[in-house]
Amino acid sequence: MASEDEISLLVIVVDVNPIWWGQHAQREPEFTLSKCLDAVMVMANSHLVMTRSNKLAIIASHCQESHFLYPSKHWKAGDVTGDDASSGSGDGKYELLSVANDLIAEEIRNLMARTQVKGHQTDTLLAGSLAKALCYIHRISKELDAGQDMKSRILVVKAAEDCALQYMNFMNVIFAAQKQNVLIDACVLDSDSGLLQQACDITGGLYLRIPQKTALVQYLLWVFLPDADQRSQLVLPPPVHVDYRAACFCHRNLIEIGYVCSVCLSIFCNFSPICTTCETAFKIPLPQMMKPKKKKLKAAN
Amino acid sequence: MDEEPERAKRWEGGYERTWEVLKEDESGSLRATVEDILFQAKRKRVFESHGQVRLGMMRHLYVVIDSSRTMEDQDLKPNRLTSTLKLMEYFVEEYFDQNPISQIGIITTKNKRAEKLTDLAGNPKKHIAAMKKAVNSMCVGEPSLYNALNIAMQTLKHMPGHTSREILVIFSSLTTCDPANIYDLIKTLKALKIRVSVIGLSAEVRVCTVLTRETGGNYNVILDESHFKELLMYHVKPPPASSSSECSLIRMGFPQHIIASLSDQDAKPSFSMSHLESSDGGPGLTLGGYYCPQCRAKYTELPVECKVCGLTLVSAPHLARSFHHLFPLDAFQEHPLEEHKGDRCAYTIKVFTCPACSSVFCTDCDLFIHDTLHCCPSCIHRQGTS
Repeated sequence: MASEDEISLLVIVVDVNPIWWGQHAQREPEFTLSKCLDAVMVMANSHLVMTRSNKLAIIASHCQESHFLYPSKHWKAGDVTGDDASSGSGDGKYELLSVANDLIAEEIRNLMARTQVKGHQTDTLLAGSLAKALCYIHRISKELDAGQDMKSRILVVKAAEDCALQYMNFMNVIFAAQKQNVLIDACVLDSDSGLLQQACDITGGLYLRIPQKTALVQYLLWVFLPDADQRSQLVLPPPVHVDYRAACFCHRNLIEIGYVCSVCLSIFCNFSPICTTCETAFKIPLPQMMKPKKKKLKAAN
Repeated sequence: MDEEPERAKRWEGGYERTWEVLKEDESGSLRATVEDILFQAKRKRVFESHGQVRLGMMRHLYVVIDSSRTMEDQDLKPNRLTSTLKLMEYFVEEYFDQNPISQIGIITTKNKRAEKLTDLAGNPKKHIAAMKKAVNSMCVGEPSLYNALNIAMQTLKHMPGHTSREILVIFSSLTTCDPANIYDLIKTLKALKIRVSVIGLSAEVRVCTVLTRETGGNYNVILDESHFKELLMYHVKPPPASSSSECSLIRMGFPQHIIASLSDQDAKPSFSMSHLESSDGGPGLTLGGYYCPQCRAKYTELPVECKVCGLTLVSAPHLARSFHHLFPLDAFQEHPLEEHKGDRCAYTIKVFTCPACSSVFCTDCDLFIHDTLHCCPSCIHRQGTS
């Protein structure tokens, strides 16, 4: 049982790449972005209801920016009063949940309406959203009273493919999360993501690729809702085999044995006298020169 | 020795009015100025970047810990030895975090002798366990700087040329008992390109000044425990590589992590090579592990040097951890408060702007970004659209 002083913060990063969702809507019309967000809202409500001291944040990861859907800058805590007709819902739902849901819906509508999509890339900038999530977690942990400790985790709901350009930023973010003891869980809708597999392995989170997208709510509630202490008592999907082999810089092949430049740490599959990244000339180990032994000319000649 | 630049000692300088630095704010509290001073010190440490200088990434560092009679002194609580060992544990963890492919060894010196506590190794657990045991050891006699440096030098001189060879001495006594002329040893250390730095716990000792000056290291004397920690942390960052260190291509292996479960029919439990030597508890039989690509010996953790074939085994994230040293983040520009809310940050006195993308951050986020995150969250977004 969690004591009163322990706060659990869940940050959900949702991939709302409009290009991917648009293409997907044509392929499978029964699972749309609104259904996905409904599932995320159910998950968010469940988390808030589990313990009174739980905190939540939701970030939408778009092509060019990441936006906080909840908590929003425009909402102040004092606004939760019943006299506003739209905020008080008549079905007796817990105020906090109904306000949160309405806020999320409004923010996502604004976000999708106002962003002009440039370019045709189908990859989302997850590293930026994760960096913002970590900054937020850092700030909230600074604002705690003395004696309260906080456990945080990030749940990533990913739709589009990986963007290979983000590798270095992604790794920086993963190591920062590991240092701050933040778990990164990943719920992948479509294609496997190597970066997220590494993130989950390094930080100790769970990676799951969902077989049926329409059952997203079930997977979120069964697998990702329990927090880190409770996970040891549940039978959860087994860890995936992560390929940690490095890719060589010259051919992008995965190699098992390679050569690493001691200056810039770039990896090559074959020995070459000059490093292509930092242009240092390497010392080539030459075999030792043997002094030519003078052969005594036999007296036969 | 030869003429050296004699700095003016502190008592020879002018009269400083140090109380004028502190200013009270309207309510008479000093908290704002004290926090400001601490913050400036933190920033100075984080931002001391070397510019476009080649850094020594693969480091072999020996730490010499003085265990002589003066370490029982209680000016650091509870006594100097316990405090030093505790800070060293933190140092070892931070060191392997920032330099994953480097190695550390620990040497202690007391009773006019020196002995190796742990050998050069890349695994932090062994060092931390050895240091925890060493807390109970007796501190007797005088330290011997010559013997300690000699032991370190015997191992370091065989290290390959592309690594940086360093010794860090934590010296608390004011005397040293040496069997031979230490100035000759200093000449040898300089010829072998070993960089020696000293952290003094009592006062400045002339032989240490000469030692560090000749070999190109740093010499500092601590003021209190937090200053001690700061000085230790300064040595975690990779130093600029000396001009004569060679660059070479190092052959490394990237083993796959095999996770076998009990239901797998081919899985057989086996011993890992590191368990054969150590006597830590546990049966040591495991199902999965890392198999060396050259000789198929099994290991449970990386990075490690294969005992059978000598290949260095690492995983790609280990190399990725060092990338932020190669591409450091620029310092943000400081402005007084002009706008009220920054990019998702709380109200603060100063705001910091990233020079590349002009987004605004508060002081806490600025420290976090430069210390831990090493990338600006807004710049990442610009990258995707370019």
